[in-house]
Amino acid sequence: MKCVIEGSNVKVFGKAIHALSRISDEMWLDPLEKGLAVRSVGPAHSSYGCFLFTRLFFQLYSLNISSPQAALGRCKLPVKSVLPLFRCSASIERSVDSCKISTGLSDTQVTFQLFCKHGITKTYNLGFQEHDVLQAVFPAHLCPNVLKAQPSLLGDMVIHFPASQEEVTLSVCPKRVTMRNYCEERDQIKVMSTEMSLHPEEFDYFHVGVDSDITFCLKELRGLLSFAESHGLPVYVHFGHPGQPVRFSVENMVLEASVVLATQTDSESEVSVQPGGSEDPAAPSRPQDAPPTAPPEEQVPSSQGSPVLSRPGNLEYFGLHVATDSGAHAAEPESADPATFRLHSLLFGAVSSPWPNEGDVLHTSLACASDTEEDNMEERSSATPMPIY
Amino acid sequence: MRFRAKILDVGCLNSFTRVVNTISKLTKTCTLRLTADNLYFMLSDKVANGGVSMWCELDQGNFFDEFQMEGVASDANEIYLELVPENLSRALRTAQNAKSLKAKLTKKHCPCLTLAAELPSLSSVSRVVTHDIPVDVIPRKLWHDFREPTVPDFDVSIYLPPLKTMKNVIDRMKNLSNFLVLEANRSGQMNLKIETDLVSVSTHFRDLGNPPCGDGGSQGASQDLETMAQARVDIKKLQQFLSSQQVNPSKAMCSKLIYPSIHLLPI
Repeated sequence: MKCVIEGSNVKVFGKAIHALSRISDEMWLDPLEKGLAVRSVGPAHSSYGCFLFTRLFFQLYSLNISSPQAALGRCKLPVKSVLPLFRCSASIERSVDSCKISTGLSDTQVTFQLFCKHGITKTYNLGFQEHDVLQAVFPAHLCPNVLKAQPSLLGDMVIHFPASQEEVTLSVCPKRVTMRNYCEERDQIKVMSTEMSLHPEEFDYFHVGVDSDITFCLKELRGLLSFAESHGLPVYVHFGHPGQPVRFSVENMVLEASVVLATQTDSESEVSVQPGGSEDPAAPSRPQDAPPTAPPEEQVPSSQGSPVLSRPGNLEYFGLHVATDSGAHAAEPESADPATFRLHSLLFGAVSSPWPNEGDVLHTSLACASDTEEDNMEERSSATPMPIY
Repeated sequence: MRFRAKILDVGCLNSFTRVVNTISKLTKTCTLRLTADNLYFMLSDKVANGGVSMWCELDQGNFFDEFQMEGVASDANEIYLELVPENLSRALRTAQNAKSLKAKLTKKHCPCLTLAAELPSLSSVSRVVTHDIPVDVIPRKLWHDFREPTVPDFDVSIYLPPLKTMKNVIDRMKNLSNFLVLEANRSGQMNLKIETDLVSVSTHFRDLGNPPCGDGGSQGASQDLETMAQARVDIKKLQQFLSSQQVNPSKAMCSKLIYPSIHLLPI
């Protein structure tokens, strides 16, 4: 793959890298037919970020379709080797005319070239190690709650929390939207608590199908929020019950960006229907209705080796699972089933085939059957493996 | 024990915030004393060698539009709270454009000073930000630790040079030595000196001006104008004090120099 980014878009690309650097120390470059996807998966696989730059973003974008996989140039790079190229956006604006990225020429290196003023060309050959790419599948159309907000609104909400604040809880109901800092109970005694609330009218679009309190990592989101603010792009928020992941996304003509974060499950709401509890009785999924094809975390090939992270105490992070296909081939039957969606909230496609085009490839990732969905993640390991196409 | 107060004026809110910011840079925890008419931020650091103590008295009427307080008892109508001023500073920082700020003493999981700011919003309903700042109530039997320090007799009183200049000098000196000798006389001269085995550095300031010798001046006019009064201080503490000052750098400061301590009074 070869692409050239021109002019002010170089700064945009740099800002995207900055945003992804908040999620993880590693990023994937994934050249696709429709554009270049840059992805990042957080530690413990509880967060995922993706910036897809469409062909319109580039002055030149060429993908060598008929080459073997290595030549496509899918690669995983440490963020700290890419970030310095785009560190200072002011100087990029001043001095860089264009940026050329070439992958697939070598098995071990990807080349970034910055063409600067005064005839200066800076060439960076960055080494990488792996080819496989992870991608989260998030059926946004199944989310009961959808918000759309101007980036300044979200910025005004998060500004009240210090940069060191790890997690926040976002609560929505038809009358009020509240964000407050979250801390584990044992830390709570001497910690200052902050709560910010505003009226749903302030959102451009506000649809709350189910009242919900979701707790997620704010630190990982800040990158996308600052990207959205600097480009004036409204932010869409899709989420559901606690435990289901939340997706923040922005888009315009030339790019789509999203960050998907796992949210804490509330153990009481997992076990059974609580009359009058936080569970909406009309909610589509119950743990016991799990279909048999729940993939286990431990048994998936090319997984980055992440078991589900289980936090001490009652609340557990809903881990991210590695499943099958990538991208648009999300016609997996499971994903249409709301119950399945609830279980495998974040599905990752491990792309191990030579050509990633939808439908053409047989993936051999394993998924696991389990009889009942237990809240306790350890019990899943007893399930038997089953292939999924 | 009850406390409720409200600030409605943006200017008052800004001023109060600046005071709290200054205090938060000086110390990690301090004591807030509330009386019917005043607020006090106090710190008494009992470290023998070069500790910092601070006393700040504010007239509540200068800041608050409403101020109601009921102390621990009718014959002791005061409240003493220990808190982290950085929390207060952080709560105030993002409320600078608030339509109103309410403060009250509450009991959540522990006693808290709750600040609620009503912020302008795009809709008809205001945004509300609430901060619960955990505090410790200081029992009455410990109140005697927090008496107002008496201003002792001083030898020399002098206006300091622009803080920025002084801070620059002291920042450089800090790299060479832990202690600094500050000396000043009544002719408007001040020297900052450090001395180590390898090097000695001194910076001289002239024509600083001395405030009129008012209360507390010992020896009085009989003292030789040229005699320097000296004090040795920990550079880090001095630097901390200077960097905490949020006043306009061109504003003069009055410093009273007595052996062995320095009192610095912003004016």
